[in-house]
Amino acid sequence: MRERLSFYIKRDSVLHRLNPLTKLTLTMALILIAFLSPWYWTPHFILLAAVLPLSFAGRVFPEFIKTALRLILPAATFLFLMQAIFQPVGETVIFKFYFLDVTRESLMFAFRNATRIFVMVSSFTLFLLTTHPSELMSDLSRRGLPGQFAYVIISTLQILPQIQAKAQTIIAAQRSRGLDTESTFFKRAGAIVPLVGPLVFGSFIEVEERAIAIEARGFTSKNLKTSLQEIADPSFERTVRWVLILLIIISALLNLWPS
Amino acid sequence: MAFVNLKNVTYKYPLTDKPALQNINLQIKEGEFVAIVGPNGAGKSTLCYTLAGFAPHFFKGELSGTVEVAGKISNQSTLDEWVLNVGLAFQNPFNQISGAKYTVFEEIAFGLENIGIPRDEMKKRVEDAMTLTGITDLADRSPYSLSGGQQQRVALTSILVMRPKLLVLDEPTSQMDPIGTREVFGTIRKMAEEGMTVVLVEHKVEWIAEFADRVIAMHNGQVLLEGNPSEVLTSNVLIKNGFGLSRYTSAAREAKKLGIWKKEKLPVTLDEAVEGFKK
Ligand SMILES: Nc1ncnc2c1ncn2[C@@H]1O[C@H](COP(=O)(O)OP(=O)(O)O)[C@@H](O)[C@H]1O
Ligand SMILES: [Mg+2]
Repeated sequence: MRERLSFYIKRDSVLHRLNPLTKLTLTMALILIAFLSPWYWTPHFILLAAVLPLSFAGRVFPEFIKTALRLILPAATFLFLMQAIFQPVGETVIFKFYFLDVTRESLMFAFRNATRIFVMVSSFTLFLLTTHPSELMSDLSRRGLPGQFAYVIISTLQILPQIQAKAQTIIAAQRSRGLDTESTFFKRAGAIVPLVGPLVFGSFIEVEERAIAIEARGFTSKNLKTSLQEIADPSFERTVRWVLILLIIISALLNLWPS
Repeated sequence: MAFVNLKNVTYKYPLTDKPALQNINLQIKEGEFVAIVGPNGAGKSTLCYTLAGFAPHFFKGELSGTVEVAGKISNQSTLDEWVLNVGLAFQNPFNQISGAKYTVFEEIAFGLENIGIPRDEMKKRVEDAMTLTGITDLADRSPYSLSGGQQQRVALTSILVMRPKLLVLDEPTSQMDPIGTREVFGTIRKMAEEGMTVVLVEHKVEWIAEFADRVIAMHNGQVLLEGNPSEVLTSNVLIKNGFGLSRYTSAAREAKKLGIWKKEKLPVTLDEAVEGFKK
């Protein structure tokens, strides 16, 4: 089995050393500003001038590009095509697609939205690649986020790859018993049914057992939690966070401004 | 005064009619190592959950009678207080991984973080516990990358590190090889000698005969027999009720029918079998 769970890659970089909350705020700021700012080129600018350089600063560029492209290129392309074709704005017809007109305006619109999605997923990917999940959890619960809440987020991030692996195992097992998971779409759709049982029922018992296991380890203890990792939070990072929040607010206001 | 004291304990899971535990009476001394045997569905796991407070605090259902551990009564405590005294590890190691930690070291520290142990003491305790169970070399591995047996050791260590007064283990070595099992039983035995009280469910009865102080045989939610391992584990009552015997006991039984085994008492362990066949 592979060593890597979740997305996190252990490296030493400026980005890795940032406090998890600062990184989370930065991620949210990049995404929200890309969506809120009224200036057309903002998302593109954020992608090229912030997200990409940050991936180098975090020393995770190759993994970043690979994960980001695999996750979003299909979705962003689809979105781009749908919006380019169906968005009924503008007059400058560039070409006709059967009865549909593709206009310059709709292309521009689609390009911006696809880039926004790209910014969203890629900033989040970058965040996950450079943030230790349990550091995030400790830091958030130290700041008063209920432990259960933090746990749900973190363990979901961690366990997803496991569920994926388990689905693979079940599929392999069912296939070895003659189940067809590879031919036509309808046959495959029918073949999913026997997979659902073990996956869902299995997960149900697993969830219960996992709950017991973490309760047995004091998860709901009323004591003040401590953390193994020392999580630094220098005062300039607090300033950085406030500046980021201010930028988000400014973008929101500009967005609301009647133009 | 017994350290663990169960008086007329009956427990029903929610939405069931038949109690999973029926009128259990059980006293365990501090530092005693008690093993539980019984066929599937006998109620062994339910007894573990009851001792560990999960029945009824987690499963709900109805518990009557009193469950007392270390002077506290289960029905009058909350689960988060109860687990400070009683540690529980169970069979499936995969489901015992918190899922929130990146390395084995962090995984083991999880419980100590939860109960608020200061960082320096935490590190020391994690290191000590890992040394005890022989997994120091796994410290930096991902818990998910380990074999089932290694994960079981991590699960056990994660509970030992909390230093419970009563350690409840439900088939904790099912995925280990015999060498690993022997090591782990050795560790548990040592913990018991240092004063930890241990309740262990185990199928491999020859290990029980070698390590446990006392055996409790359960059947249909009741205690069928209890006592000294070498007597309980060879008793005819167990055979009649479909309990698994150790292979040495089974072999000697057959040998006895053929007149080869001459002693009255049947063996449980290899050593006892060898001893008996020599004569
Ligand atoms: N969560 C549950 N809900 C309802 N009934 C249960 C539950 N767990 C176990 N039981 C029932 O309780 C009885 C005892 O089960 P268990 O304690 O798991 O036995 P053992 O561990 O000896 O195999 C069985 O009849 C079983 O079906
Ligand atoms: Mg059981």
